[in-house]
Amino acid sequence: MKWILPILALALSACAPLKDNFLGPQPYEKDLMARKEMQVDAYPFLTQAEEHIYFSKEASSGGRGFAGGGCGCN
Amino acid sequence: MSVSFRESLARISVSLLAGALPAAGARAQSYGYGEPLRNDNFGPGFNYSQIDAALLVYQEGGGRVMAIEPTLDLSVHAADGRALTLSAAADAVSGATPNGAVPSDKPQNFVTPLKAAGSSTTVTSASGGSTVIQLPPTPGQAATAALGRQYTVAANTLPVDKGFHDHRAALGGGWTQPVGGITDMGFTLGYSRETDYQAITTSGHVDQTFNAGNTNVSLALNGEFDSSFPFGGIPAPLTPMNAQFKTPTSRNKTQAGFVLGLTEVMTRRWLLSLNYAFDNQSGYQSDPYRIISLVDPLNGEPVQSLYEGRPTKRTSQSIYWDNKIDWGPAVTDLSARYYTDSWGVRSSTVELDQRINLTPSIYIEPSVRWYDQKAASFFRYFLVQGQPMPAYASSDMRLGSFHALTYGAKFGLSLSKRSEIYLKAEYYHQGGAAHPAVAFGQLRQQDLFAGTNAAIAFIGYSWDFH
Repeated sequence: MKWILPILALALSACAPLKDNFLGPQPYEKDLMARKEMQVDAYPFLTQAEEHIYFSKEASSGGRGFAGGGCGCN
Repeated sequence: MSVSFRESLARISVSLLAGALPAAGARAQSYGYGEPLRNDNFGPGFNYSQIDAALLVYQEGGGRVMAIEPTLDLSVHAADGRALTLSAAADAVSGATPNGAVPSDKPQNFVTPLKAAGSSTTVTSASGGSTVIQLPPTPGQAATAALGRQYTVAANTLPVDKGFHDHRAALGGGWTQPVGGITDMGFTLGYSRETDYQAITTSGHVDQTFNAGNTNVSLALNGEFDSSFPFGGIPAPLTPMNAQFKTPTSRNKTQAGFVLGLTEVMTRRWLLSLNYAFDNQSGYQSDPYRIISLVDPLNGEPVQSLYEGRPTKRTSQSIYWDNKIDWGPAVTDLSARYYTDSWGVRSSTVELDQRINLTPSIYIEPSVRWYDQKAASFFRYFLVQGQPMPAYASSDMRLGSFHALTYGAKFGLSLSKRSEIYLKAEYYHQGGAAHPAVAFGQLRQQDLFAGTNAAIAFIGYSWDFH
């Protein structure tokens, strides 16, 4: 699966919305970043519930946050 | 409780009272097409509180595990960045769960301890397809106490234990605030208790934002102390399954790790996050209820069931990469993760969520997640009689090689400027080798992949208030 990351990077780099004011948006350009859906974890409850399920059914955990589940589900 | 912590609580209480007054000078912002309804005096820089409530319903196919989990969260934010979070969760889990044995072309019997030692409680066929059996008493034990539970699995059927059920309750809290020139520092504490398991979790984090607010780096440390006290005691690894109560009755596990994170506002429309996570676990990590079949070397018939055994050390590392891109009426969230650990598990995960704002107050969000896992080095579908016994062995399919696909959709509705209700339905499917090359004899006719299919429903409600 080593091909996945390069392909994703290529796909992203081709995206038009990604080119304006690269790495340096000014404070007055943060209107979109202020929207709830653009927060890093806009719906933490949902994220926690899904991570909990994957933790209990798969051998991997962590990455988005800490590994482990704080429970005996695995 | 320390004096400084009490002072902090007192300060935030005063801030909250102040925040209850109507906020003056509300910001005016113009939003593009499909911008959901938002309050302009909530969020960073304002005093506000938030309540989140949710209900998760999880049902596996084939009459296996069902879980219901309600959760409730309260967070109180002060305008200066301080925040207090309190959370509570409970879950009830029941259903049939694979016990780890391979299917056979003949019926199989399994025995486990029955209730508490000395209990006269009976188990009937109506409660999990089990029967009570009389055991040879161990020295010093009353004959009447020598009872076990036996269940029978039909021929050519995946062995499952239908007696599985558990309840869990969890409480948590966290505090975060700016400190001097540091953007944000905080800690969390958590406690989770099940019938046979207890977990105490703690974490601390430091965040620093710079580069005109475009760059954020964070370091979070976590620690966890778990105790496992399974029904029937802790079995010795790779010993025959039996109905006797075992000692020790509990074992512990400690866990410590960290996550190093970078979040960068790449452009006005693109937010990128990159995390590296390291984790170390030490202590009892076996599943005390799970067995592995010892099979006949000629015909593959199970001749004995042994308790599984896993290493007591495990270190893991992962890299997580997330992109959020705003396209106007739609937001794409694309993430990838690579995970590796000292047990030999390797996995890749890619997830894509596409939020589409249909109106200012309604959105839909289809999502798909792909996961691929390589097995732990000690994963075995079965052990063969007469061959050297490995130091560790588990047939837990969660440690095996498989792939998984999750697809679903979320629907969100802003009920007012301050509240939102959302529903998400998902289907989770695991796929793997039903007839691995190691199968022989009667095992070649059996489906040896005991993966999971599950339907997941989630309903959540979020309310911001002053």
